[in-house]
Amino acid sequence: MTIEPSPGQPFPDVDLLDHAGNRRRLSELAGGDPVVLQFFRGWWCPKEQVFFRRLLALQDEAEVAYSRIVSVSVDPPEVSAAFRAGLGARWTFLSDPDRSVQRALGLRETTDTLNDPYVPAVFSLFPDLRIHRAYDGYWFWGRPALEELRRDMREISAAIRADWTAPAA
Amino acid sequence: MSRCWLALLDVPAADATAQAKAHHADGEPAGWLSVWRQRAKPVRAARRIDDRIVDPEGAAAWVSLVRPPDGMRLAFDDLAVQHARRRVLAEPPQDAVSTLLRDASHFEGAITVARGGGVARLVDDPFARIFPALILRVDAGVLGAVAAPAGPTIERYGSANPWPLDRFDADR
Repeated sequence: MTIEPSPGQPFPDVDLLDHAGNRRRLSELAGGDPVVLQFFRGWWCPKEQVFFRRLLALQDEAEVAYSRIVSVSVDPPEVSAAFRAGLGARWTFLSDPDRSVQRALGLRETTDTLNDPYVPAVFSLFPDLRIHRAYDGYWFWGRPALEELRRDMREISAAIRADWTAPAA
Repeated sequence: MSRCWLALLDVPAADATAQAKAHHADGEPAGWLSVWRQRAKPVRAARRIDDRIVDPEGAAAWVSLVRPPDGMRLAFDDLAVQHARRRVLAEPPQDAVSTLLRDASHFEGAITVARGGGVARLVDDPFARIFPALILRVDAGVLGAVAAPAGPTIERYGSANPWPLDRFDADR
């Protein structure tokens, strides 16, 4: 289940509880659309709070652009639900409180032995969960800028939408 | 394209795919909630819905059935309809939801299905801020439960499809 964070490699089809406590598969959440998959430390991290503001800006575009966002942390569903509501996020948050998927993916941040959080990481994925790009966000500047997320969504969409070039006469 | 239609009727339909008695909150009969899986519109009052919310094995449920007053329609792209969809995504998910429509451009109501803890939240149905809602108890045998929309998409996947159906037709 480990990740090879290289373009074209498959991302594991993880199965976790969503913020409402229902089991969800990543492939089901992707549907037929490009995905921004974000792993974050937790609601308490100032860097995550800043990065979420970037995702909220992307949300306002993704809602009309047939693209999905999925955020994953070790917080339990009720904490994720409260954080999501406070942010004003309208995408799915997944919870991994027993850290089983975190272990399997090898995404535990080893320098924080208090919280044992996910290491901050972002993946842009094709609908079939192939990795388009991977971003290591341990240092804040490693995280994707809004323009990079837009570029990734554009590149994936251009590759998967048969009518990407507008039908015109 | 497969289609699914829903109507609240005074008497049961002879050809419905599934249907069940509906009651108002005070227990008074409200008619029959009937659904059809077929291409042709079955009765004048029928509106298209997301096929996934129909389950002939589904348990009894409470619903918020939002419908416009006679003769009134609203563009699906109207800001109020857009914002209602955002509110649905932002709030805790209900068992199922579908907008109602007949054509590719008009919003003609919505149905939200609730069970358990979600029933109390039906009075805050975001679509009921647009048109009046009936709160009904529907017997078993017609409505199921559907995984919540992944978000944040508020657009329809093809303008002729109800929201939140979440993917384009395979042959598109």
